[in-house]
Amino acid sequence: MGLPDFLPILIIGLYFLGTGFYVLGSALRNERIKVMALFLGGIGFALHALDLAHQVAGADAAVALTSGRFLFCLLGFGILLIFLLLWWRLKMRFLAVVALPLALVFYATADATSGIKASLPPMLSGLFFLLHIGTLFSSMALLAMGAGAGLAFMHLEKRIKTKTGLKKFQQDMPALDTFDKVNHWVIIAGFPLYTIGLVSGFVWAWLSAKRVFSFDPKEILALVMLGLYAYLFHQRLVYGWRGRKPAVMVICVFLLTVLSMLGINFLVPTTFHGFKP
Amino acid sequence: MDKNIYLVGLNHRSASVDVREKFALTSVADFEKSLLAACPLREVMALSTCNRVEILVVADSARCQDMDISEAVLSHWAETCKGPLDVLRTHTYKNQGLDAVSHLFCVAASLDSMIMGEPQILGQLKKSYRKAVETGTARVIINRLLHKSFSVAKRVRTETAIASSAVSISYAAVELAKKIFGELGGKTAMLVGAGEMAELAATHLLASGIDKLFICNRTYARAQELAKTMHGEAVFFEDMVERLKGVDIVISSTGSPTAIIRAKDIREVLKKRRNRAMFFIDIAVPRDIDPDVNSLDNVYLYDIDDLKEVVEENMSARQGEAVKARAIVDLETDAFATWMKSLALQPTITDLLGRAEDVAQRELAKTLKRLGPVDEETREALEVLVHSVSRKLLHEPICFLKRRTREEGTAERFIDVTRRIFNLDSDPVNPDAHLDRRTSEEDEPLECECCRDPEQESQDASTHTEHQ
Repeated sequence: MGLPDFLPILIIGLYFLGTGFYVLGSALRNERIKVMALFLGGIGFALHALDLAHQVAGADAAVALTSGRFLFCLLGFGILLIFLLLWWRLKMRFLAVVALPLALVFYATADATSGIKASLPPMLSGLFFLLHIGTLFSSMALLAMGAGAGLAFMHLEKRIKTKTGLKKFQQDMPALDTFDKVNHWVIIAGFPLYTIGLVSGFVWAWLSAKRVFSFDPKEILALVMLGLYAYLFHQRLVYGWRGRKPAVMVICVFLLTVLSMLGINFLVPTTFHGFKP
Repeated sequence: MDKNIYLVGLNHRSASVDVREKFALTSVADFEKSLLAACPLREVMALSTCNRVEILVVADSARCQDMDISEAVLSHWAETCKGPLDVLRTHTYKNQGLDAVSHLFCVAASLDSMIMGEPQILGQLKKSYRKAVETGTARVIINRLLHKSFSVAKRVRTETAIASSAVSISYAAVELAKKIFGELGGKTAMLVGAGEMAELAATHLLASGIDKLFICNRTYARAQELAKTMHGEAVFFEDMVERLKGVDIVISSTGSPTAIIRAKDIREVLKKRRNRAMFFIDIAVPRDIDPDVNSLDNVYLYDIDDLKEVVEENMSARQGEAVKARAIVDLETDAFATWMKSLALQPTITDLLGRAEDVAQRELAKTLKRLGPVDEETREALEVLVHSVSRKLLHEPICFLKRRTREEGTAERFIDVTRRIFNLDSDPVNPDAHLDRRTSEEDEPLECECCRDPEQESQDASTHTEHQ
């Protein structure tokens, strides 16, 4: 049974309204508007899951899984999933302000890339997909949440340090320590996932093309990111980095991820990770 | 309305502390009884705290039309306190009718308090009301008025942010600690030196759930003494910096002329505690903690001036919320005026018959739906049946109410009870309902309005409510 044609527009609309209402609710400090925003976002998430399931279960699943649409769709879904986990475990509902717009951006990008396919069909078998795409996207979703928590941390910390405008903070805004805890989990869980994702990519490249590294721009950037991530992981675990420094670094790594995902995949014609019509 | 409400009082704005001391009522119950005996009043309730005295009376308009009730109350008050009447007169305010109602609502909602939004006054008002009920001087109108004032206070607290932020230095420090650490369970604090404000902040921290409190003083015996009372652990002054590695919150208030905690010490401490955040509260003047400490990553330092600024910011926010609170008070005052009018017999009979008619119509509609198609004759018979049952059922209660109105002083009580039994005013059930029937054993010790203790205040507010 096919899904209605208007489903993507409906999901984009729900994410858009959810984002708008959540920002509005936060600005007006109105709990009802925020709850309504989360409700709309929740419906969007459910439909998003349905859309993904439909793509996976469809007759041309093998083709669908290599499409840019599916990959961006999955990334947006992963971000919301990680947000729900953080909300559940760390009461970080506040991060909806980051998760909803990112889900909107990635889902809208997915919809815009309909008909565009990643040029890696031979490599994308089930195991590789799980190892490479699944782990990388999970770590990216974690980074997205970490970047949101990092921005909030820096903003709140600046207010506390400079002793200005503390009253303007909402009662339900988490404490500095909670934001730092998100950073901790993003690094602890995200770095191994990112490493697995990258290593699996190199292994697969060796198996399929007898070549580990191709000096592809995306691969170079991925290695830079891995280096930064490893440094962050080391400093946080060994030297007990906390607070501002890891928050800034997570934001940097996330921005590099966005650059890698959107910039290189779309704009660099030489990369074999790119999306081509 | 044939009953009139008067409120005479003085507060921290209208009278200085010596006047308030002079005219404070030492035995409120005796005053209420004697006032009731001295003046032709129906109901009396007095509230006396160190910041205010409020005397609320209800009188029959007809009986007292030639009498200045407020003046009579003032005379009796001056006589009771053995103070000069003219001094009392110049420092008191007099409210009548809905102004009195509105004033009482403002007092209960803490809009008239010295520190706006502090809820101690509500507990004191509840206590005074309970005493008046026990004395037998509070009846229908004061019962209703006080219950309403408790619900207004609750509405103001829940619908506005009037009490949401700290307005005392010690509590502001605890709120800041929560912004840094979230829940304070599992955290440790150290009190360096012993000042009253620092001790108060430490008490708030303990109440907020910190795990351990270290107490450090140049005089170790004093540290031990404080540790005993605050269930903490005494620390030698020389060991202070070393012990800081296990401490998350430091409250310092020594009399040292120079800084006793320096940035370079804290840099070392941070390394040892793997950069876990630290919050320093410096209440001492001159300051105990080097201001450069605040520039270290994961360290936050607030001195007394910083905390004062936070408090002032919160105070101005409360002023903004007071506008919303006053709108609630105005609405509730109008609702009370409507209730006062309904205390006459005729509106009650009309409401009662209207309610019966409603019920009859609803039940008839249900029955007809269940029966399916019925002929016109049956339908009419059913209509007559339900209407006559409802009217006949109410006939005796209405006759009873009519008989009571011919008796002196009992009508409003029965009318009020009738309105409550049949819920003619469609009131939601107030958690303070039947407060007048609470036993005194359930009383919690109440603090004075001026002895603000924000930790206790929330407990007070909740413990002084009762569910129906």
